[in-house]
Amino acid sequence: MRTMRDRGESLVEVIITIVVVSVTVTALIAGLSTATTAATMHREHVTADLVIRSYAEATKLAVQSCTVGGRYTVAYTPPAGYSASGAGGVCPSITSAEVVRVTARSPSGLVKSLEIGLRTP
Amino acid sequence: MAIAFVVGIGALTGGLASLVTSSASRRAPVEQARNQQYAAEGAIEDAAGRVRLLADPAVEPCVSARQDHYSSALNRARIRVDCTNALSVTRSRTGTVVEQRDVVFEACLDVGVRCGTAAATVLARARINYEMAAGGGVARTTVQTWSTRP
Repeated sequence: MRTMRDRGESLVEVIITIVVVSVTVTALIAGLSTATTAATMHREHVTADLVIRSYAEATKLAVQSCTVGGRYTVAYTPPAGYSASGAGGVCPSITSAEVVRVTARSPSGLVKSLEIGLRTP
Repeated sequence: MAIAFVVGIGALTGGLASLVTSSASRRAPVEQARNQQYAAEGAIEDAAGRVRLLADPAVEPCVSARQDHYSSALNRARIRVDCTNALSVTRSRTGTVVEQRDVVFEACLDVGVRCGTAAATVLARARINYEMAAGGGVARTTVQTWSTRP
């Protein structure tokens, strides 16, 4: 004689369970994937920020040795895949700050810019 | 049990989404602070250069009566720079009395009031020495102190 405990599950119940589990697992995987992508992007932003700050500071340091009519070069090596540009060349004026726009570029093409004021001491 | 499972997964997904959006939204104020700091430093450099043009830096007023401060705009931030003469004398190792022609600069966001007041927090402060050449004029400027608001 069959009791309620031996009744089992109907096909509809099994299908509904599979659908619910599929949807939740898909959402979870999508969420994890997005978080991973965002973490990578965030790290790239932070590294690019570090690059542009370091390059700006290296530029200001280089200008400290400037003389009127002289030239300066920025000594800074960015991390692999990153680049920094915008500074270097003729020393700025002694009577006003020259605005220089420095730029950092990440391996994926993310660009960050910053304006700095430079003056020959 | 199924409902608890779905709720748990939903909470986890929501947490991940929150993590993603918060890291992006918190970057903007940090970058703004960085831009303002560099703008303030650049504005001080500009003001220091203009004071250098004066015939008697640190002795005659560092600003004119017509314009009582310097202004600059960098990184889309309007910066006001106030200056104060800090002339002093010191004695060298040989006993000679030497003038210290220092000027103190303070930079803040330009909100129409002097830097250092409640409405205009100082972003950067610098004390710059103007070394005079034997024949007159400034031979070189030297940064004595330089600080930026953290």
